[in-house]
Parts: sequence; structure tokens; C-alpha cells
Amino acid sequence: MSQEDSVIEYTANDQMVVSASKLIRDNEAAYVGVGLPMFAALLAKRTHAPNCTIVIENGIMRVEGFELPGGTDTVGTQFYADKLAGLSYISFLGQAGYINLGFIGAGQIDRHGNVNDTVIGDYYNPVHRFPGSGGANDVMSFCDRTCVMLNQTKRRFPERVDFITCPGYFDGKPGRREESGIRQGTGPVAVVSDMGCYEFENGEMVLTSVHTGCGITLDKIKEETGWELKISPELKESTPPTAEELAILREIAAPLLARRRLTDFERK
Amino acid sequence: MSKVMTMQEAISSHVKSGDTLFIGGMQHGEPFAAVHEIVRQKIDRLTLVSCLTFSTNMLIAEGRTERVLTGYYGQDINRSYWLSRARSMDKYPVFQEYSHFGIAQALLAGQMGISFIPVHSMVGSDMLKYNPCIKLIDDPFTGGKIGAVEAIVPDVGILHAQRCDENGNAQRWGTLGVDAEGINASRTVIITTEEIVDSDVIRRDPNRTIIPGYRVAAVVEAPWGAHPVHLAGCYSGDWPGWLGEISSEDGYARFMEKYVYGVKNWDEFMELRKEEKGEDYFKRLRIKQIPSDPIYSGTEEKGI
Repeated sequence: MSQEDSVIEYTANDQMVVSASKLIRDNEAAYVGVGLPMFAALLAKRTHAPNCTIVIENGIMRVEGFELPGGTDTVGTQFYADKLAGLSYISFLGQAGYINLGFIGAGQIDRHGNVNDTVIGDYYNPVHRFPGSGGANDVMSFCDRTCVMLNQTKRRFPERVDFITCPGYFDGKPGRREESGIRQGTGPVAVVSDMGCYEFENGEMVLTSVHTGCGITLDKIKEETGWELKISPELKESTPPTAEELAILREIAAPLLARRRLTDFERK
Repeated sequence: MSKVMTMQEAISSHVKSGDTLFIGGMQHGEPFAAVHEIVRQKIDRLTLVSCLTFSTNMLIAEGRTERVLTGYYGQDINRSYWLSRARSMDKYPVFQEYSHFGIAQALLAGQMGISFIPVHSMVGSDMLKYNPCIKLIDDPFTGGKIGAVEAIVPDVGILHAQRCDENGNAQRWGTLGVDAEGINASRTVIITTEEIVDSDVIRRDPNRTIIPGYRVAAVVEAPWGAHPVHLAGCYSGDWPGWLGEISSEDGYARFMEKYVYGVKNWDEFMELRKEEKGEDYFKRLRIKQIPSDPIYSGTEEKGI
């Protein structure tokens, strides 16, 4: 690492976008929502995956890049698409096994990758209400690989969620997804939080890298996790954004920031 | 047969209290002008079916909605003035929750005239515990399990289209969200449109017609009828501005009094908005239009 690189300043959001973008492979179809996932897809398009097809729930399929929008469906996300259709068409592609990767945000995620976007506490008398599945359940049920992006706090990383909106691996026992009627060969493969990156092993979340460049430590991550976290034997420091990646990120974000604050992708 | 009428006529003759209402436009080209009229006519006890619509917030906040069939709605009452207003009137709606695909498939089953559609999403989730319209069944062919989502057949569907002829042949383009399923599933169909065009325009590009005229009960010309949401090929949107305006108690009261109850129709609304926002506001929302290459239809010149 040169000295110049070591003084680059970046935020946890930058790290999340860069880490997530690396999951996108060239020539694949990636289903993205608004906010950081769309940001990650646009970065991938400008770096290692120029030919990936970006899939957006309202009915948009496109290879050509676009200006980072404040919503999933805008004049800009529609214009110059390869195909415009409806939500069913997009989901049929996924249900039939033709979407490789999907990104979702999450209210909470648990040890076995189950996502709660619905309710904390009793359904009819909630402690907290999230807005519901939206397309998230469909994405995690349909895509070959799903990446979940969220900010990490102990409250958002409970050992077991109160409500399963998007099934991960249930209790971790093998075959549970298929038994439930979900297509084989799907499920969460990665979690990218503002503290670290995770993968899944035997249906359980495993920490694989720590965003040390953002001042995060392993102890801090353990503090913000609601169970005894499995740590990969090959635990690494998250690869920080390069100067080039950051320059592209700033360029992508500029028009939207000029118009308004970045729409928060989180389900608050 | 011409089905052209005013919005007032279309809503008063086709939308009744207690109806199940499909509102088209998933974050794109929503029938705002029609929803304003439904609010103005104080039609209530509604069941709403929609995906990511903004205008329906008014029907909830006014206490006119009993049930919402939805995949996504901000139900945190501490963050939603609209819901807290509904609760203060004891009109908090029941939310029956699906995924987006679940809503789309329920409407598709309605369009197809079958009682349910099998799905591979929502299964395994806790949505099945609280929504009686989603079940897990045995797949008769694979021996495995599969989800089943019950059909939704709305009493009335409302869609805003870029163009439509007086017979109701409506053409809509850009993203379609759940528009095709929703409008075709609905028993009674109201089309609002930017422009009523000659049937000749429709018939030279008939693949674009989203529903044939004979299925349509009313056609209403409503330029800017999807504002503040964008409409492909026509204008950009300003829903963040609109949300900012009507999300607080004071802002909501002012907007409803001045712009919904205080006007007779959408034309008056647009005039008032131009006065307040400036002519330039709407000029800036107009997009730079880029034409497609024409596709050809045609007829045989002579017999073979």
C-alpha cells in the first residue's frame, strides 16, 4: 500500500458499497433496490462488471448505466432500458431461476439469515413496525444468491427474529428452505453491514472481514451482535475502497446529492 | 361508443362506498387526479389494492379506508401523520400483507379468472400466519410444497394512461408495475389519460393497448393526471416535494383544504398549483421527448 492510499478518507457507506459491488459478476443479472444496492451496481458497472444487467422491481432491465436515482422507478431509471415490463415479469425471471444475484435491505437479520421487515414484538401489538416485505421476500426466495445490506446494531442483529419476512436458513438445519416450498439453490450468501462482511456456512452467519479502515474492531462487532458470533478462521480486514473506486463513487453520487439527500435504503 | 365523461361523472357513477379499489401506478403514472375526486366525493369504507402508491395515503388519512391489501406500507404510527390521523378518527385500516409478487399474482389470478395461483415466494415466511389468502399446499406434480395465493378481483380499477381513444382502448408504456394484472382483473375499469386520441392512433400500434375498449366503463381526459408522480414520455415527478408538503398535520390540513376540497376539479387544482409553484415549475417537469423508431403495421396490397 502506498502512502497516498493510506490517507484516503472514506465512510462506512463507501465501504459497504465497494464490498457489495464485488459480489456482482460480469454478464450476470443483479436485482437491486434503491440506495446502497443500486449504488453498488452502478460502481460494478463502471469497474469489473460492465455487462451486468441491472434488474429493478417496477419492471426495468438494463445494461446501460444511469444516474443514481432517489427512487427505484424514475424517468432516469426507465430511460434507455433494454426492456420495460411489469413486476410479474421481473419476478417470473427470478422464480424460473434466471436472476443470479439480489440485494435487499433489512429491518433485522438473525443468526441463520432470516430477515424481519415486518414487526418487532407481537404482530397485533407491536413494539416496532417496519413497512413489510415489499419485494424483499421475492428477491431472497428467487435469486440464486442474495446479499443483505444493513447497519449493524445489537437490536438489528438478534439471535432469532420475531417475524420471518424473508426466510434465510430458518434454524440452520439443512433442507429447510426446500421443505417450505422455496426453490432449491437460493438463499442469503452474504451480509454487508457498516461494520463487516459475512458469509454463510451450514446455514449460519460467519464473519469474514472487519471494516477496520472505518475504525471498527472485532470486539465492537461482537458487542453489536445478539448471539455468539462465528468467526471465519481466515478473518480479514475488509479491502478498503481504492482511490479510483472512491472517485467513481463521488461522481455517481454527485447529481443526486446536488438534488437531495441520499434516500435512506434502510427500513427504519 | 364514446365513454368519455368528466372525472366527477366517472367516479360518482362507478365507485361506491364499500368497494374494493385497484389503484394503478407502481411509483409510476399513478391516477392522482382520480384519487382527488374520490376523496372529494367522500366515498368511504374502501378496500385498497395497490403497490407503492402515494395517492392512497389521502384515502387512509381521511379515514375512508377499511382494509389495505399491500406488500409495503409505512406502518410506524409514530412516523406517519396519516395513520395517526386515521387512528384518531377510529378509522385505522387493517393491513393484509403480501410480498409485492404476492399482490401481483393475486391480481393475475383475478385477471385469469382462476381462484388462486401457485407461487414459490412468501412460503416459509410468517406472512402466512396472518394472511388467510396465502396458503402452503402440496404440489400435485412434483410431490413438494408450493404456495397458493388467492385471487383478488377488485370492484373497480383505475389506471392513468398516456393515451386512450374515446372507446377506452388505453395505451400505457414505461414500467408497468402491477398495472396490466390489476386493471384487467377489475370488474369495472376507469381510464384517466393525458390525451384522448383518435382510434386511428391506437389501431396503428395496437400492441401497446393495455386493455381493450369493451372492458372499459369510463374515459376521462386529465392532463398531468399523474402529477406529482412521473409519467414515461410525458413528465418527471416531484413526489418528494409532495410528501414534504402533506406529511405534517399543518401541511396536510392546508393541502387538503386548498387543493382537494377547495377545488371543483383537476383543472382548478392545476391552475392553483401553477399560481403557487410558478409556471416554470411545470415547465421544468416536462421531459425532453425522444421518439422511438416507428414500427410498421400494414395490409396486403393484393391477394396472393
